Amino acid sequence: MDKLIIAGKEFTSRLLIGTGKFASNKLMAKAIEASGTEIVTVALRRVDIENENDDMLSVIDRNKYLLLANTSGARDADEAVRLAKLSRAATGINWLKLEVTPDPYYLLPDPVETLKAAEILVKAGFIVLPYINADPVLAKKLEDVGTATVMPLASPIGSNQGITTRAAIEIIIEQSNVPVIVDAGLGLPSHVAQAMEMGADAVLVNTAIATAADPVAMAKAFKFAAEAGRIARLSGPAKAGDKASASSPLTGFLRGSEND
Amino acid sequence: MAVLRINGKEKVFDGSLPATLSELLITLKVDAATVVAEVDGEIIEREKFDSFYLKEEQSIELVRFVPGG
Amino acid sequence: MISIEKYAGTSIAELLLQKQLDGSGDIWREKIDRVMEADVEKALAMPVGVFSLERLIVLISPAARKYLEQMAQAANRLTIQRFGRAVRMYAPLYVSNYCNNGCRYCGFNRTHHYQRTRLTIDQAMKEADVIASEGFRDILLVSGEDRKFIDVDYLVELTQRLREKFSYIAAEIYQLEPEEYEKLSKAGVAGVTIYQETYDREQYKYWHQAGKKADYDRRLIAADSICSAGMREIGLGVLLGLKDWRIETLAMGLHANYLMKRYWKSHVSFSFPRIRPATEVERAQFEYLMPDEDLVQMVTALRLCFADAGEVISTRESALFRDNLIKIGITKTSAGSKTNPGGYSEVKDATEQFKVNDDRSPELVTKAIKQAGFEPVWKDWDRAFVESK
Repeated sequence: MDKLIIAGKEFTSRLLIGTGKFASNKLMAKAIEASGTEIVTVALRRVDIENENDDMLSVIDRNKYLLLANTSGARDADEAVRLAKLSRAATGINWLKLEVTPDPYYLLPDPVETLKAAEILVKAGFIVLPYINADPVLAKKLEDVGTATVMPLASPIGSNQGITTRAAIEIIIEQSNVPVIVDAGLGLPSHVAQAMEMGADAVLVNTAIATAADPVAMAKAFKFAAEAGRIARLSGPAKAGDKASASSPLTGFLRGSEND
Repeated sequence: MAVLRINGKEKVFDGSLPATLSELLITLKVDAATVVAEVDGEIIEREKFDSFYLKEEQSIELVRFVPGG
Repeated sequence: MISIEKYAGTSIAELLLQKQLDGSGDIWREKIDRVMEADVEKALAMPVGVFSLERLIVLISPAARKYLEQMAQAANRLTIQRFGRAVRMYAPLYVSNYCNNGCRYCGFNRTHHYQRTRLTIDQAMKEADVIASEGFRDILLVSGEDRKFIDVDYLVELTQRLREKFSYIAAEIYQLEPEEYEKLSKAGVAGVTIYQETYDREQYKYWHQAGKKADYDRRLIAADSICSAGMREIGLGVLLGLKDWRIETLAMGLHANYLMKRYWKSHVSFSFPRIRPATEVERAQFEYLMPDEDLVQMVTALRLCFADAGEVISTRESALFRDNLIKIGITKTSAGSKTNPGGYSEVKDATEQFKVNDDRSPELVTKAIKQAGFEPVWKDWDRAFVESK
């Protein structure tokens, strides 16, 4: 299968995994392994100095997985930029999932603040992967300022609704010069297969795996779905039969025409 | 009594402040290897924890990676 | 395997080289000849309107010739779906047939002896009056490479005068520098058409012997400059008859896709200039003259790969041909064209760039368009809505 290339770096897996909502760090680590992923997202939070809890980073082998810090919690560009710089200081990695979500109910991304932050962060040397609503014009504008990918949502975070933004994502895929990673709301492996069949370059899944009854098995299912979808896409799927209405011939004139 | 603002809350220290960031983390039982520190809005490199001296009334943010989507 | 194209950071010259579509390799002839009927049926079963080189190869292949009627039907449906039944009407205004270039195929070649003339701004406006009186509100400025007289200042001034009468002004002129395109754009030119003529480097060298146009690479980046200058529309074309149309179509398709992805705010159109009789140009030297069936295949194949690109046909083509092409993908057409400067007001007896084949009046042409079930549109975009006087 062909490689996924982001910011010049090659990846075999087209499934990115979010690490939130798992019952335990141990389970999270097993699921990550089963998924075959090479990129996992993490968030930055204040250390709870009253309680010492186990540190998740110790279970993620940083030689195997690219840690993609996200700026979740940021409500505007300034907060996102600050979180970005903190995460770069923490890991030395300049890859960043840019997430600016002022809306606490649906966690929908703010397009204006995201574009603003993206421009600042790209100039500051970050490799920016912005999370956005499925807005084709916004996607082109982010590409213009130099983001490494665009990450349009399929449906709101954690909703498991699948791809409710299909038409818009198809346009983004058609028009984009950078990899398109469908993120958020992918609830079933079939949703992931669908996204890949549509032509997405990769997908990001978190809730659907973390909250499944058997996250490790579910991670495996998602892995197969991502691969199946990609292979199908490259094999050129046929479209559904389309009833052509009988119409008078359009090339009949060629038989009698004078070709000078 | 010495006071520092840590993660938005005032923390009172009996006696003197921990001298450096490293010492503060030891006092709080927080593993320095996985934490990012910001003092008065400025990020402090981990290598400098040992040599960064704390002062009264400083505002410190201690942040680490946690699971997230 | 269907490849999915992304062009971040690569120039069009590099792309054409990578794909060997600039004549640097000969992989395509074999690929095209290897296409079988089963491949065509598969390609036609795929969702229409999205570009991939693999798909375009199949649609332009000799094997697809059997499926021409099916392709035409699909092109007809797709065009109506995306463009409705509207056909934009425009007229060309030739302001000069002086030219410094030595293009072997052209009536205006600098070595040819012919009646050369150029119009003053006032004379050009007289022509424009005639054109406007016929109903046109969309005008295309055309000129040979006559930099000394038809310079950017001339074009800017003419554009500003034309804005009083025309709601859409486009240009099909010699290549300008990027800053010059910007000036034109600010003055009110909304689109530029510029033909690469041929994407094959060796062929290009042969046909373009002298003048600024002889530089292939310079010519190739014209479209980039035009889009970067903020022009709303960019027209591409190859001169059909210089080289195997199949390979040229692949190269032009790649160019279009590259432009659409890089300059997402500009709209791409295809033109189909076919070699036509011209004064002092010997027809026998053209090896690849294109028969009608091939042109129909090219028009429909491009339509099936580019759902939203414009397709333009001029009066180079016969009335019969044009009336039928309207039904299978064409979105813009001229009528009553005069390709000699001063031809509309019959003031000067200058030489034409090429012999017009369809010399019907605009009235007759629009009648034919209506009879075909389509609607001629005279005015499509009006800058006055967005600018204050």
